[in-house]
Amino acid sequence: MSFLRLQGLVKRFGDFVAVDDVSLEVEKGEFVSLLGPSGCGKTTTLQMIAGFEEPSEGRIFIDGKDITGVKASQRGIGIVFQSYALFPHMSVFQNVSFGLEMRKVPEAERKKRVMETLDLVHLGDFAQRFPRELSGGQQQRVALARALVIKPEVLLLDEPLSALDAKIREDMQIELRGIQRTVGTTTILVTHDQSEALSMSDRVAVMNEGRLVQVDMPYQAYEFPETPFVSSFLGKSNRFSGVVSGQSNGKLKVKVGELEFEAEAGRGPREGPVHLSVRPEKLLLTAPAEGRFTGRVHTRIFLGNHWVYQIDSPFGPLLASHHNAGIQSVAEGEEVGLTWAVEELRVLAPEEAGDG
Amino acid sequence: MAEAIARRTLIPPYLLSAPALLLYCALLLTPMLMTFLLSFNSFDLYTGIKPDYSLANYLEVIQDKYFHVIFLRTFGMALVVTLICALLGAPEAYILNRMANPWKSLFLLAVLGPLLISVVVRTLGWALLFGKEGAINMTLMGLGLVDEPVKLIFTSTGVVIALVHVLVPFMVISVWASLQKLDPATERAGLSLGASQFTVLRRVVVPQVMPGVLSGSLIVFALTASAFATPAILGGRRLKVVATTAYDEYLNTLNWPLGAAIAILLLAANVIIITSYNRVIEKKYAEAFG
Repeated sequence: MSFLRLQGLVKRFGDFVAVDDVSLEVEKGEFVSLLGPSGCGKTTTLQMIAGFEEPSEGRIFIDGKDITGVKASQRGIGIVFQSYALFPHMSVFQNVSFGLEMRKVPEAERKKRVMETLDLVHLGDFAQRFPRELSGGQQQRVALARALVIKPEVLLLDEPLSALDAKIREDMQIELRGIQRTVGTTTILVTHDQSEALSMSDRVAVMNEGRLVQVDMPYQAYEFPETPFVSSFLGKSNRFSGVVSGQSNGKLKVKVGELEFEAEAGRGPREGPVHLSVRPEKLLLTAPAEGRFTGRVHTRIFLGNHWVYQIDSPFGPLLASHHNAGIQSVAEGEEVGLTWAVEELRVLAPEEAGDG
Repeated sequence: MAEAIARRTLIPPYLLSAPALLLYCALLLTPMLMTFLLSFNSFDLYTGIKPDYSLANYLEVIQDKYFHVIFLRTFGMALVVTLICALLGAPEAYILNRMANPWKSLFLLAVLGPLLISVVVRTLGWALLFGKEGAINMTLMGLGLVDEPVKLIFTSTGVVIALVHVLVPFMVISVWASLQKLDPATERAGLSLGASQFTVLRRVVVPQVMPGVLSGSLIVFALTASAFATPAILGGRRLKVVATTAYDEYLNTLNWPLGAAIAILLLAANVIIITSYNRVIEKKYAEAFG
């Protein structure tokens, strides 16, 4: 029995359907990300779990109890807001203590729990400061401590890292994940940042236009996207449209323009028009004669740990990215052969109207 | 060359602000200074103002019980009006802020609109309502709630009601400004931590808009303490406040020096109360709001 269960959630604002039949089961202690572009309904879904929005249809269960009609203040859910929403007129200690005061926890125990939680987020020395005296990263930790101190059944994180600098963001991803493991709270993260979702969660739930598109473990979702939307939203991908021309030994033959490529028949379609997708890091550069086809390097960018190439090919511009392994890289303007390992080519359903 | 540039950049600012400075000196500082000097002169019923200097006028005001009552009434009224304005204006601003357009703009206009009408006209309107045969008394008596007309005109109650009406927009504007800085997510955070709607208001919203309420109070207090038109029209000759007393000294008794002394004392009292109040607030909120 799953711990948090969303059952057919629908939210309409007038004629606009913000969330369209979302069902999701989350195990106790699991970390699930709701990932999608802005306006995909992920935040509205979070608001419904938190109790700030009432679902038009569907039910929400926590630990088997139906909480759909329960007030936000009675749900016992911890929330970290995008703006942190710290109480500016209270010290760090008072901020964290607030939830315990509402639960009428006796003062001695309250003090102990607040300090324990502040130590957990490495802010034990900052208890008497006011929020505006803290850096963004520190405010973020206070917000997390304030949500965790009440020992919530579910922790909701609403784009918690989006206001931080890139460098601090990476550190916080690791730390947030570590804290979540230590505490073991069932957690839902809402984000539009795919690297955040991939790096922190046990499972990623990709949303688009109010619907859940794919729910999978990060590696699975990245390597085996089920729709072109997922393949382009999670990381970058090179795409070709083609038509299935034959099938043998579980392998599909797909005709793309003049060429024919072999691909493993995965979870995608087995006939008719399809999309082929290959990740930039799986697109290999070879000598012109050894590739499946040739292209010319248009732009080359050095990013420290890897090179990114934009290549003009018969199928339009392609993207390749390779580790900086200390080998001399191909120069701009050079002709290169392009290839990939057969198992890295994904066959996807062609784009539906409105899908991506 | 460098000097020329330095001179050129130095002179224009003074030149540009000169008209305003001149106006300020001519129209505000000079009359105030003259009033200040005048307050030390003496006055004789038959010979008029005498150009001698003494503290007699001040001593008269400070020692005479008649003036004590007037000063106490003025600042008491200012306190009551400020309190009522805070109690009405703060919730009004909060509710307005949460309204959706177009209602928000419409009600904001309704709240601020009266500022466009002269205080005298608005006060005369209240005089019509308050009178023995005014709308309020006619309604109350028509409903059988009272047997004889309620005395509103020429009473402190009447003056306070009218002053609250005149000054509440200042409180609304001030609270409104501090509400713009309030992150609505803090209210949700409070709810999610288990606080009731009322507790969220009391512990999360009110403390955050308090600076707005306090600065609004400052404006309302200062304006009430020095209000003239409303107490003059609704208070009449018997219910005097400091401003109307000074006016009477000038124009009825023709004792300008005494009037000047009263005016200067009102100014001094106002400045002292406001600056010390401001200092207390700043101390209290410096830590959290900076």
